[in-house]
Amino acid sequence: MRPCDSLKREFLKKWMMGLQSCSSSNKDMSILERKEAIKLSADVAMACARNGATCWSRALIAAGAHSKHGAPREYSNKRIRSKKILKRSCRIRIRRRKRSKCSAQVGRASSISKGLVRQRTRILKSLIPGGESMDEASLVEETLDYITYLRAQVDGMRSLVDASELDR
Amino acid sequence: MELNAGTGGNGSHKTASERDEVAALESLQFTDEIRRLMSAPGGDNASSFTALLELPAPQAVQLIHSPESAKLIAAPAPAPAPNVDDFRGSFQFPFNCGLIDRAARFSVFAGDGNINGNNKSNSPEPTSYNSSASLQKPVKSEPAETESSQPLVSDPTVENRSIKRKDREKVKGSSKKSKTSVKESSDDAEKLPYVHVRARRGQATDSHSLAERARREKINARMKLLQDLVPGCSKISGTAIVLDEIINHVQSLQRQVEFLSMRLAAVNPRIDFNLDSVFTAESGSLMDSNFSGMVIPMMWPEVQLNGNRQQYPQQLHLDAFQQPVSGREEVCNSYITPENSLLNYDSSGNSA
Repeated sequence: MRPCDSLKREFLKKWMMGLQSCSSSNKDMSILERKEAIKLSADVAMACARNGATCWSRALIAAGAHSKHGAPREYSNKRIRSKKILKRSCRIRIRRRKRSKCSAQVGRASSISKGLVRQRTRILKSLIPGGESMDEASLVEETLDYITYLRAQVDGMRSLVDASELDR
Repeated sequence: MELNAGTGGNGSHKTASERDEVAALESLQFTDEIRRLMSAPGGDNASSFTALLELPAPQAVQLIHSPESAKLIAAPAPAPAPNVDDFRGSFQFPFNCGLIDRAARFSVFAGDGNINGNNKSNSPEPTSYNSSASLQKPVKSEPAETESSQPLVSDPTVENRSIKRKDREKVKGSSKKSKTSVKESSDDAEKLPYVHVRARRGQATDSHSLAERARREKINARMKLLQDLVPGCSKISGTAIVLDEIINHVQSLQRQVEFLSMRLAAVNPRIDFNLDSVFTAESGSLMDSNFSGMVIPMMWPEVQLNGNRQQYPQQLHLDAFQQPVSGREEVCNSYITPENSLLNYDSSGNSA
């Protein structure tokens, strides 16, 4: 399924605006900073194109807004700390459950596959922005959306690269 | 007709208009049949009656239900009136018991209060019919014409049951379960307005497992959509592997985005773009841009990846068809792997 043309056009337009507004301010950035600026503007542009209808778009916008200011640092630190505590408690719970269960079912395929699936959903949650706080069903929806968004972004950027190369 | 009026109000799969049409057709058939029978020689009562018996059910049932039938069975002599309207009143039923038998069978569908007398003789039958017929397996002894019309004839209450049964989530009903569950569910359906789910064979039917199963099905439906979206996942069966592929895909796309943004940053030190040129380039074939044909080393000004730059052309050719590295553990933005994944994406994108 290719992202539709209207979506791509909208994305490009917004991205152009964002890039122009941010380039006018800083001319002497290093390459990495520039890359970050480009990526960020692309992200925000795409997320705005979704009008905040999806969870990942909202998370992206929030992240984009926060990265500019230094004030929300403490807030993010607290969040990071609480996340770590949560993860530790989850791990302990899982270990306890495994110890109670492992005597019964050691080599069963279903339990192994369930464990694999759980592990992979965890990885997917880490990949998708804002995916930590979602249950499985909405997570799958968000991945669908996110994949189409990524594809549109890649296509748009690639076309931009082509255009810039044509000039040279 | 009273039957159709009863069934008209339900949201059944066959609309009332359809039923009316078919009923009208059948009445036409009926009148034609009658005319044919009338024109047939008079001493042919037995054969004509059997011919009449082969007519669709509503007509036969109506014959029985009609108030004149009572006097008909009593009155022996048929009046020779050629008028179709009088025909019903004047018809003689030589095979009363056979017709009553059929009538009793139809009465299961035709309504509870209509022929109570006939029901008593056939009370064991209707229960078995209720369970096994289920409106999809019509009565086998009936000729083919009646079979098609049976679902139309059927009674409002039975229609209700069947509709509600079909509307409910049908997971997988084995025939054994269906027999017992039909009755209880049909009873419940008339009393309570909630959704009834047919349990799988050997599984519990309490609310928790049902909700769990509904949730599972929702997730599985969405996973199917994802499988269609991600290239190369449609043939795989198994959640874990599909998830693996999805993760790979998302990671490769993210790396592509980073790589492209880096390229853009390097190519244009001044980030001002010509909008028109961009749109013309975009309107061209975006998908078919041959990435490997682009000359990359020329573009890069003094970049910290100077060491990698020499390896680029060789990397392109050598690693063009390798599988993308499923580096879940690696976080670095190394430029070799995005190159691979980008090329693979190209080839897969063009072929998909």
